[in-house]
Amino acid sequence: MIDHQAEHLSLGGRGFLNRRAFLGNNATALSSIALTSLLGQEGLLAGDRPVIDPSQPYAPRVPHFAPKAKKVLVIFCAGAVSQLETWDYKPELIKQDGKPLEGGPAVTFQGPAGNLARPQYEFRPRGQTGKMVSDMIPHLAELTDDIAFIHSLTSKSNTHGPAENFLSTGFVQDGFPSMGGWASYALGSENQNLPAFVSIPDPRGVPQASVNNWGPGFLPAEFQGTPFSASKPVRHLKSPLGVSPENDRAARSLLQRMNARHLKQHPGDGQLAARIASYELAARMQLSVPEISDLSTEPAHIMKSYGADDDANPTKAGFAKNCILARRLLENGVRFVQLFNGAYASGGKLNWDGHSDLKGQYDVHSEILDQPAAALIKDLKARGLLEDTLVVWCTEFGRMPMFQKGAQGRDHNPDGFTCWMTGAGVKPGVSHGLTDELGRKAVEDIHPLYDFNATILHLLGLDHERLTFYHNGIERRLTNVEGNVIKEVLA
Amino acid sequence: MKLQFTIAFILFSAGGKLSAGSIDFVRDIRPIFEGNCYDCHGADKQKSGLRLDMRSGAFDAGEFHQPTIIPGKADESNLIRFVRGDDEEMRMPPKGERLTKDEIATLTAWIEQGAIWPEEVDLVKPVDRTDHWSFKPLKPFDGDQNIDFFVREKLTSNGLVMSPPADRLTWLRRVSFDLTGLPPTPEQIAAFLVDTDPGAHARVVDRLLSSPRYGERWAQHWLDVVRYADTHGFEVNTPRANAWPYRDYVIEAFNNDTPFDKFIREQLAGDQFGKDAATGFLVTAARLLPGQIGKDAASLRLARQDELGEIVINTSEAFLGLSVGCARCHNHKFDAISAKDYYSMQAFFAGVSYGERPIQSSKSETELEQAEKLKSRIREIDRAFENLVPRVSPGVERPPVNALLNIDRFTPVKARKVRFTIKKTNLYEPCIDELEVFDSQGNNIALASLGVERSASTTKVSANQHQIEFINDGRFGNERSWMCGQTTGWIMLKFPHEHTIERIVWARDRNGKYADRLAVEYVIEVANDSDDWVVVADSTDRRSGDPKIQRDLSTLDPKQQTKTKSLLEEKKQVEIRLAELTNSQKIFGGIFGKPEPMHLLNRGDAEQPMEAVVPAVLSALGDVTLAKDAPDPERRLALANWITTPKNPLTARVAINRIWQGHFGIGLVETANDFGRAGTAPSHPKLLDWLASEFIRSGWSVKHLHRLIVRSETYRQSEQINSIAQAKDADVRLLWRYPSRRLEAESIRDTMLAVSGRLDLKTGGPGFDLFTSRGGLSGFPPITKFKDDGLRRMIYAHKIRMEPDSVFGAFDCPDAGQSVSRRRQSTTPIQALNLFNSQLTIDESEAFAQRVRDKVGQEVRAQITYTYELAYGRTPEPDELTDAKSVVRQNGLPTLCRAIFNSSEFLFIP
Repeated sequence: MIDHQAEHLSLGGRGFLNRRAFLGNNATALSSIALTSLLGQEGLLAGDRPVIDPSQPYAPRVPHFAPKAKKVLVIFCAGAVSQLETWDYKPELIKQDGKPLEGGPAVTFQGPAGNLARPQYEFRPRGQTGKMVSDMIPHLAELTDDIAFIHSLTSKSNTHGPAENFLSTGFVQDGFPSMGGWASYALGSENQNLPAFVSIPDPRGVPQASVNNWGPGFLPAEFQGTPFSASKPVRHLKSPLGVSPENDRAARSLLQRMNARHLKQHPGDGQLAARIASYELAARMQLSVPEISDLSTEPAHIMKSYGADDDANPTKAGFAKNCILARRLLENGVRFVQLFNGAYASGGKLNWDGHSDLKGQYDVHSEILDQPAAALIKDLKARGLLEDTLVVWCTEFGRMPMFQKGAQGRDHNPDGFTCWMTGAGVKPGVSHGLTDELGRKAVEDIHPLYDFNATILHLLGLDHERLTFYHNGIERRLTNVEGNVIKEVLA
Repeated sequence: MKLQFTIAFILFSAGGKLSAGSIDFVRDIRPIFEGNCYDCHGADKQKSGLRLDMRSGAFDAGEFHQPTIIPGKADESNLIRFVRGDDEEMRMPPKGERLTKDEIATLTAWIEQGAIWPEEVDLVKPVDRTDHWSFKPLKPFDGDQNIDFFVREKLTSNGLVMSPPADRLTWLRRVSFDLTGLPPTPEQIAAFLVDTDPGAHARVVDRLLSSPRYGERWAQHWLDVVRYADTHGFEVNTPRANAWPYRDYVIEAFNNDTPFDKFIREQLAGDQFGKDAATGFLVTAARLLPGQIGKDAASLRLARQDELGEIVINTSEAFLGLSVGCARCHNHKFDAISAKDYYSMQAFFAGVSYGERPIQSSKSETELEQAEKLKSRIREIDRAFENLVPRVSPGVERPPVNALLNIDRFTPVKARKVRFTIKKTNLYEPCIDELEVFDSQGNNIALASLGVERSASTTKVSANQHQIEFINDGRFGNERSWMCGQTTGWIMLKFPHEHTIERIVWARDRNGKYADRLAVEYVIEVANDSDDWVVVADSTDRRSGDPKIQRDLSTLDPKQQTKTKSLLEEKKQVEIRLAELTNSQKIFGGIFGKPEPMHLLNRGDAEQPMEAVVPAVLSALGDVTLAKDAPDPERRLALANWITTPKNPLTARVAINRIWQGHFGIGLVETANDFGRAGTAPSHPKLLDWLASEFIRSGWSVKHLHRLIVRSETYRQSEQINSIAQAKDADVRLLWRYPSRRLEAESIRDTMLAVSGRLDLKTGGPGFDLFTSRGGLSGFPPITKFKDDGLRRMIYAHKIRMEPDSVFGAFDCPDAGQSVSRRRQSTTPIQALNLFNSQLTIDESEAFAQRVRDKVGQEVRAQITYTYELAYGRTPEPDELTDAKSVVRQNGLPTLCRAIFNSSEFLFIP
């Protein structure tokens, strides 16, 4: 939202309206030029938007209010994990196994609906809370006491791509900024030698909405996620084969002299100064990224605890290595880490889209997810990182309590599903919201994903209604015009 | 954000208890609103479109399309329902303390008494949203004004002056990059520097504007706005193989200087003007393909609304600079655009859907007749051939099953249902691309379009590839096939009524790519209504053999063999002739049909239709309205004509602003897609209006505008920064210098190739590949080594929606998700890594060095000089020469070239 006086200001001027909250950034000579001029032009008003110094786009910036969490880890399970096989225990569904769902839909996303089907795994009480969690994920289940579950989330789409967009960007359409983009735009980073926002794709491939999940949308390109994993390094981090290190160095230092000379001939040009700074940051990344991705320095017991040494299951070992990489990035002050489990649409073979053979496929997927992800969270806790790191586990929607007709799997269900949080600022051992007794729909404390995303921003000290970016006539937000912080899961 | 209403709030003492019978709004009601409602329904926020701090807002329908306050009817007024909490979910206020019983009673009594709210007591006044600069007519101009006059006027009033002119080389490089996206060659530079004739500048401009390179550059600006891509987007992101004719149309339109009003009309209704490819505009958005949309009716309705919504967004943003799309769910927050306006605008497109079709061409009637004859000859040949296939009968051996085509002929039999059961395949689950059932007249009566229903034992769904619907959709090939969910199973067709059938034709993949999943053991049965199944054919009488051999003629007698061969030869010839005759390019464009009825949707929800709407232009700007049964082309033409009438205050302003932005990097209005109240005001209102008038006067000639701009003194100024002016106007909005800026992604790549000497100037046609995939699910591995078509200008790349090019995507290349009205100029370390370390940079550095060596030989000084001339259009200064020499001697010429490709001087429009 903008005010009516601001209408007459340039966008730069409007940005300035919001400087007060974000002045934590140490102004350089460069930004002070712009600042002075804007002061002269527009006068001083209060506001909420971050101000980006182009030569230091990742400088740490101060949030709207004192944050509970400084960093975020999002464990993103692509393909829609069934809430009924994991966290949302439905004894009634066991009773009604094989019966038709009275008044249920005849046709769901993919076609005709079959009969109700019991959870495909046994559930048992866990920890102090005694919350029922399934045997599919025994390691994650051990963390139950630390987790705040939200069982009553809803999505705006029942199609994977738009629904992943919705989860990651707050819009079902392609082309909106991702949550990590918003966070790094707002807050910059604590580490100037690494990207502020890193996306770690699954060893099996990219998730269904692919780059939408970490794209900048219309935010400045600085704030997109940099995708790399333990097995796939940052693209173009090194020069191609055949270029000698001497030639590399010579080209870099010649370039530095050329650009410095050019800047001297164009004094005061901030764009040119920013370009020089970008090459300096790139050079620092060339040193720090390989170092952080080099897991050979991890002790054997750590590798083992994550399952990174599981030679019999290379996909699990690959995901485990990504989990270790995630921890190292967070340890080093990266603002937002997105860790994917599950890849693109593949009839449920490569992700959680269990339409036809849910149990068979989930046996495979849970083996990959469970031990490494649980080890990651335990490791973060042991190292004290959960003091200022929020951990989010999410998936784009849930699944139906019925099996699909003629199949052994469940169809898409955006009407009530579970995601959870743990770590900084999160109330441990909470189960918030309810689906009906069969897990078909959310019925109590219903939260569209807007609320979930608003809560994540809130924990970072950001008011989702005040964190905006102007685009095509609208002050855009992660939460569109919706969203209420879910207070019940806050510590 | 709270300062515009300097409201002197009057404080009330909360004492006044309700005395029955005399409720005063100011005394009794407003304090309740103030205390409980204004946080969300006041000046700052109007949740659900409701504000309670002014009379007009409170009695407005808001998003619920039902007035919040209905005088005299408290029980029906949402205000009372909500504060009472009739529906717990809608209780107001939603948080904090509820209204007291007394307060609710006061409100109820007030409404019952007629809800008297005198207008004059309001502390804030409603804003007239139509009272907005861009909604007002263009002012007429007289006298000899020009661009420089208006720019100087504004500079002077701000105590600034224009910078001195740039040197001739700088101007030439600037205008060349600006108009064509490519640098001038050393020869062009030399010729211009010695041409001291006063007409020299104008001649350069004419040369550049008549070059095909011009359209290739300026079309890109437009494609950014309309979010053009060569894939459908979303998760499947399949190729949109025939999107490119629209891209080529836009390039040609710029090259031909198509009048801009005509350009708009063609994009909305090009099918009416022989410019069919232009209708690609209507369908540029990302789109869910049928296989990705839920099968339930609500999902289908939502998908249709989304499809139409994208057309409204594109049309209103691109041509009118208004975000009408915002009004889909609620009245526009800032502009005079209601939800009804949105749905009325949508109604212009009610007959438009997305799809691929042949470009309408000017084929003559005789040609079309001829084509029809050829088609029926092909059908005759097919029938003749198929009649040679042996019928199922005892003792007759039939050819082996093959992947390309199988014909099962049998004695004519009456059937209501046909069941095809697969007992064994050669590999994996069975797959059939099409099941055709022919009656005695040779008609395929199995098509879904004839109302034939299908069912299967199990189906393995792979969106857009294997679906049960594809078994009888009349389309062939693996990507339109049915796959069984298990290794054995059946598929059944049920006809609307009984037919006499005699032939069933099926295949694994008639396109010949796949030979696995072939039903090698099968049974075909028919039944009437009674479900008594009768076997008409099975695989037991088929010989075994290679499934890849198509025509096994060995069972035929020699005479039949000869006849078959000659028939097949004839068929081939006929098909070639038919292809020549009907040869027409396809376009992914608008498909036009009968408009469906349109309704206002409550809060944008397709499941809550309200009143019907007819096509009507935005009520704040015009009164063109069509009848509810107006046919499709009439609708789109009416909208196009309204948009392009010179009286429309927005169209010309929005257009010239985009052109201006192309030249200066920023428009006179900074928010090029938003001329509404949330957009910025113009930096030079008079100049904007003068240019718009001049544009219309010139017959909407874009090239005329280019000439006016690039030949102006404003444009010719030096780019150098003057610290005093900088302190006053750092953003250079007042144009006290030429605002230099980084080249766009495409221009960087094109310029590297031009300088290395490898740029391929082939125009038009399908795009070249930046990735090893042209679309699909499994990711986009980038191509790193480019040759042949890969060296074309980047506008000719096959553009993958959302997937940035691995090197240049990082340079703010739009992703074709949402409209990009103006590219950002970000500077990131990823850009630096890509440009410094990509294979393309290394390869072009080598090619560049080779080009230089080929031209000037081995002498290092000459090499460096020519390298500078090609890259920067100038010779090196002595200090540069010294520095470069030592690098070239020690590290080779390609090392210098690599540094140059990364240098600011190379990357900036000066």
